[in-house]
Amino acid sequence: MAPFLLLFALTFVAPVLYAVGQSFTRVTREGLFGQAGASSGFAGFENYARALSDGGFAASVGRVLLFGVVQVTVMIVAATVLALLLESASARWPGFFRTAYFLPYGIPGVIATILWSFLYVPGISPVLGLLAAVGIDLDPLAPSTVLWSIANIVTWAYTGYNMLIIVAQLKSIPKELYEAARVDGAGPLRIARSLQLPLVRPALVLATVFSIIGTLQLFAEPQVLQAVSPAISNDYTPNLAAYNSAFNYNDYGVASAQAVLIALAAFVLSAVFLGLTNRGRR
Amino acid sequence: MTRSDDEEVDVPDPWTPLTRPRSSRRPSPPPTRRQVLRAAGLGIAGLGALGATAACGTPGTAPAAGAPLPAASPGEVVRLQYWAWLKDLQKVCDVWNAKNPSVQVEAVWIPGGNSGGYQKIFSALAAGSGPDLAQIEVRTLPSYLLQNGLADLSAYGFGDVIGSYDEGLASQVRLDGRLWGVPQDSGPIGFFYRTESLEAVGAQPPSTWEEWLEVARAIHGNDAGHWIDSFNAGDPTTFISIATQAGATWFKPEGEEWVIDMTDDATAAVATLFDTALDEGLLNTALPPFSVGWFAAAGSGAIASLVSGSWADALIEGTTGGEGQWRVAPVPTWASDPSLTKAVGSSYLGGSTAAITSTCAHPREALAFATWMTTDPEGIDAMIQYSGIGWSPASDYIGKARQQPSEFFSGQSYNTEVFQPAAQQQRTDWTWSPVTLQAINIVADAFRARLTGGYRTCLDALAAAQPQVVAAHRDKGLAVRAAS
Repeated sequence: MAPFLLLFALTFVAPVLYAVGQSFTRVTREGLFGQAGASSGFAGFENYARALSDGGFAASVGRVLLFGVVQVTVMIVAATVLALLLESASARWPGFFRTAYFLPYGIPGVIATILWSFLYVPGISPVLGLLAAVGIDLDPLAPSTVLWSIANIVTWAYTGYNMLIIVAQLKSIPKELYEAARVDGAGPLRIARSLQLPLVRPALVLATVFSIIGTLQLFAEPQVLQAVSPAISNDYTPNLAAYNSAFNYNDYGVASAQAVLIALAAFVLSAVFLGLTNRGRR
Repeated sequence: MTRSDDEEVDVPDPWTPLTRPRSSRRPSPPPTRRQVLRAAGLGIAGLGALGATAACGTPGTAPAAGAPLPAASPGEVVRLQYWAWLKDLQKVCDVWNAKNPSVQVEAVWIPGGNSGGYQKIFSALAAGSGPDLAQIEVRTLPSYLLQNGLADLSAYGFGDVIGSYDEGLASQVRLDGRLWGVPQDSGPIGFFYRTESLEAVGAQPPSTWEEWLEVARAIHGNDAGHWIDSFNAGDPTTFISIATQAGATWFKPEGEEWVIDMTDDATAAVATLFDTALDEGLLNTALPPFSVGWFAAAGSGAIASLVSGSWADALIEGTTGGEGQWRVAPVPTWASDPSLTKAVGSSYLGGSTAAITSTCAHPREALAFATWMTTDPEGIDAMIQYSGIGWSPASDYIGKARQQPSEFFSGQSYNTEVFQPAAQQQRTDWTWSPVTLQAINIVADAFRARLTGGYRTCLDALAAAQPQVVAAHRDKGLAVRAAS
C-alpha cells in the first residue's frame, strides 16, 4: 500500500493542493513590466470573485449545463436501447455489432473532431453539399448550431462506450430470472421494462455520472473546432476558459479558481444526481 | 472529453452480484488504528509534495537570470531551437547552418500566435524549458516580458546594431530602456485598391481620410452593393493602427504606472470617421478581410479597397482574376485635421520579432543568428523567398524581390513607391502594454456590441471598454490609472 499511497500523494493529491493554493494567490508586480520584481500574496476569494463575475465564464457554465441536459439524455437513452437490442434473444452477430458501436471510443477525441470538422465545413463537406442540392442550407459551425455539432461528435464517440457498461450489467442477470419471467408470460418488451431496466439501474447511474463529469470537462472538441468556427470564443466552455486564462493570459490564479469551480460543480452535480436516484429507491 | 476512471464516485458498480442490500449507503466499520495512521501519513506525504511544488511559486514570478551568459567555448557545437509559425523556416536556417557549423539552428513549427503557439511557448517557459528563440509579435512582446520569458538583449550588445532597423519598429522592442526582441518583420499600412472601382466613380486614391469618406460615399451611392472597405468588429487591430497613425497613445508608461487613454482626440477622430461610415452603410460589416466571402467580394468589385499592412499583397494576389486590377497608394493621412499634432504618415499593422527566451543557454549565438536573419541581405532574401515574411525590418535593404515592379499590381513598383517611405513615417512613441491581448479582446467585444446596437458610437464603445482595460492591468498586479 505504501508505494501506491506515495505515488498517489505525489501525482494526485499534491497537484490538487497546489491548484487550490494557486487559486488563493495574487501576484503583485513592481515596475511597468514586472521587471522590479513580483511577489505572490494571499488573495482570499478574489480570484473566485473574478471568475464568477466574468460574464463569459458564467455563460460557459450555462452552455455546458444545457449541453449536458440534452446530450447526456440522448446518449444514455441511445446506449440503453442499443444494449437491450444487442442482448435480446433475436439479435444477430451481437459480438460484431458490439465492437462496431464501441469503435468510435477508440479514436482519440482530437482526431475524431478533425475528421468531423471536414464534414462540417461548408464547401468541403460532401454531406452539406448534398443537403444544399436538395435545398437545405445548414451551417453546423454557426453560433446557434455549433454547440449541437459538438454534441453530435460527443454522442458518436461515447454512446458505444456507455452501451458496453450496460451490456456488462445485462450479462450478469441470472438466467433463472428470465425463465421465471417467461413462465409468467412476459414478452420481450415486458421483460425489458420490468426486469432488465430495473436491474441495469446501477450501470445507468454510473454511466450518467461519468457523462456529467465529462460534459463539464468539454475541451478537446471546442478547442479543435475553434480553427474552423469563429463562433467558438476563448471561453466557450469552462475548461477552455481555464486553459486560456492560464496559457493565453498567464492568469494562473484565476485559471486555478476556474478549475476548482469546475471540480466543485462536477462534485455537486454528481452528488445531486446520486441523491435523486437513491431517494427513489428507498 | 474524458471519462476518466479515477473519479471517486460512490456508485454501485455494475459488476457486483445483485444480492447486495438495496441501499447504496453501506454502514462502514469504524477505522482501525492502522488506517488512521496511514491517512495521517498520506496527508504528510501530500503536504511534503505540496511544499516541493509550492517552491516553484506562481509561474512567471521567479526573478529573471542575473549576469549575462558567456559565449560557448571554441569547438563546442551549439544547437538552437527556433519556434515559429513561418512556413519553410528550416530552409532559411539551412542557409545559415551551411555557413556556421558551430551554431546549428532547428526550426520547429508552432500554430500562429494566439491560436495555440503562444500557449505552447508560455507553458514551456513556465516549466522552465522553452525554445531558444521564439517568434513573438511586437504587440505581445511586453506580455512575455511580464512573465520573465525574455533575455535582455542589451546585455549582449544588441544596442550596437539596433540602428540598422527601421526606427519605428526598433522603438517597439525597446521596453523599460532595454531591448527585448530582434525585429523580424512588420507591416507598414497602405491603401490597396481596385483601379476599376475608383475609375467607375471618377475618383483618385484619397490622400486624406476626409477624401476617403467622399470616395466611400461615391462608391456606395453608385451601387448599394458596393463598399469601399469592410469593418471587422471582431479584430480591432486595424482601428488601433489608424488611431496610432492619428497620434493616439492608448498605453502610456508614466514612471512606474500605466496610463490608459482610449478616448483622446486622435482616437475620437478615428471613431467619428468610422461612425459616419458605418451609420451611412459605407462599410461592409459581414465580410472580414481575407475571409472566403471577402475574397469573392474583392474579386467581383463589391469591395473596392483595403487598408492593411504591406503583407496583404500576398493575400490579395489570391483573389481570382485580380491580376492587373489592383494598385497600392499611400494610406490616407490626417493632414486635413490640423488639431492632430502627433499624426504621422503611416502606421504598423502587425509585425513580429525573433525573441530570445530567458531559458536559452546560448543567447549570444542565438542573437548572432537572429541578427543575420533580419539584417544580412542573404538572410532577408531567404526570409522573403521561403517564408514570405512581411516588411523586412532592416532600414537599408528591402529585399531583392521587392525592388522589382509587380505584374499583379498593374506593373507598379509599389514596394519602393509606397511601403519604403511608409516604413519611415512611423510613430516612435507607441508602446504596447503587457495586457494587449486582453485589451484587444475587450475592444472587440465592445465593437461587436456597437454593431448590434449595444452602443451608439465607437467612441461610446471605447469609453465603456476603457475601465475594463484598466481592470485587466490591475488584475495582473500592475500599477495603472485611466487618463480621464
